[in-house]
Amino acid sequence: MKLSYSGKAITGMLTVVPAHERKFVDEMANFNFSPKRSIKLAEVMGYDRHRIVAGAVTSSDLAVAGLEHLFAGGKLQREEIDALVVVTQTPDHLMPGTSKVVHGRLGLHHDVFCIDLNQGCAGFIIGIMQAFMLLDQPTIRKVVLVNVDVMSRKVSPRDRNSYPLIGDAASVTILECDAGAPAIEARLKMDGARREALMIPAGGLRRPSDATTAEMVEDEEGNFRALDNLKMDGSAVFNFVLTEVPELIRGLLAETNTDVADIDSFLFHQPNRFMLQKLADKLGVPYDRMPSNVVEHFGNSSGVTIPVATTSNLSARLVEERLRVCLAGFGAGLTWGAMLLELGPLNFCEMIEYQEDNQNG
Amino acid sequence: MDEFLAEMAEILEEDTVNPRDELTSFESWDSLATLSVVAMADDKFGVNMSAQELQRAVTVEDLYQLITAKKAA
Repeated sequence: MKLSYSGKAITGMLTVVPAHERKFVDEMANFNFSPKRSIKLAEVMGYDRHRIVAGAVTSSDLAVAGLEHLFAGGKLQREEIDALVVVTQTPDHLMPGTSKVVHGRLGLHHDVFCIDLNQGCAGFIIGIMQAFMLLDQPTIRKVVLVNVDVMSRKVSPRDRNSYPLIGDAASVTILECDAGAPAIEARLKMDGARREALMIPAGGLRRPSDATTAEMVEDEEGNFRALDNLKMDGSAVFNFVLTEVPELIRGLLAETNTDVADIDSFLFHQPNRFMLQKLADKLGVPYDRMPSNVVEHFGNSSGVTIPVATTSNLSARLVEERLRVCLAGFGAGLTWGAMLLELGPLNFCEMIEYQEDNQNG
Repeated sequence: MDEFLAEMAEILEEDTVNPRDELTSFESWDSLATLSVVAMADDKFGVNMSAQELQRAVTVEDLYQLITAKKAA
């Protein structure tokens, strides 16, 4: 699907990561694999350390911490928020939506369009698209987009397939109307037939959680997980990304008469370094223009990885200059999307840590 | 075939591999190695193999046959 936007821009970006950091070498003993093979895996995938909450932290905890930081620094006023989009796969409750929880905890006024989106690794792209649609309304001038996942609480610590790569994080992105903003082109594709490639099988109404869904079962590779845990078919996802994403990006670049060399930075979702380097190779993008270090330093936080890649690699430049960037997100759904836009100079572009000792929801 | 064997030796972390070597005889033949073969098939042969398809291979040569057969198809 082709999507186009005009007169809209991203004006600020903040990410929140848990202060609590864990190292892959310390977690290796949890996995049913030889240390030698685990170290090889870490080298190839780029596993080193990741940010994981220590206690019962929820998505709204991280989101509220981020927004309160912006209020305290005068970078955002409570009263000017016209819409709040929360993209998460780890909501505080089945109902009401986490956007309502955040709205209530922050004491926002009643004229706020709050909406939750259940999206995974394409969640930043989808969130921006939703925010842009809201900005078409004359009464909506400023949209706050929150991407947040606390996936560590849904992944089995004994699943070497997923646990070493995941991280928890939130981002707050501000989107506003800007009559002078250059046009933005985007592409989006969905394939629900392949929805089981990334799934938490139990906990919804199709398979409610009970004692049996909490039971740890060993798979053929030696990973232990329960039906309540995230299950990723790593190989199917790898094939999906390697096939669909380059085609999507090539199409977007060709249809906008854009060369790879015209793009300052390819800010892609961060599944692991291996997959990102394969994507860069296929697209002919030099590695220094496609950050791939988020899994290594913070972990893969699904829909939050593009903001994490942005605030950890480009914050100094993005508060000063305007960069031409190509965003891409791909994952659960399956969903894959890309967006070509000019980013910056931003009012703010920073990362903060969430201290669990000081902030109890 | 020579280039394929060199690629396989690197994936399996061996100095050399023989076409008749059984994959399960290598300690390094695991899901990561499978993924590396998928990536190599894509990169060097332009073939999109799934890990499931590769599971049918017993020997190194079987892998080569599976990849080249799919490329020819």
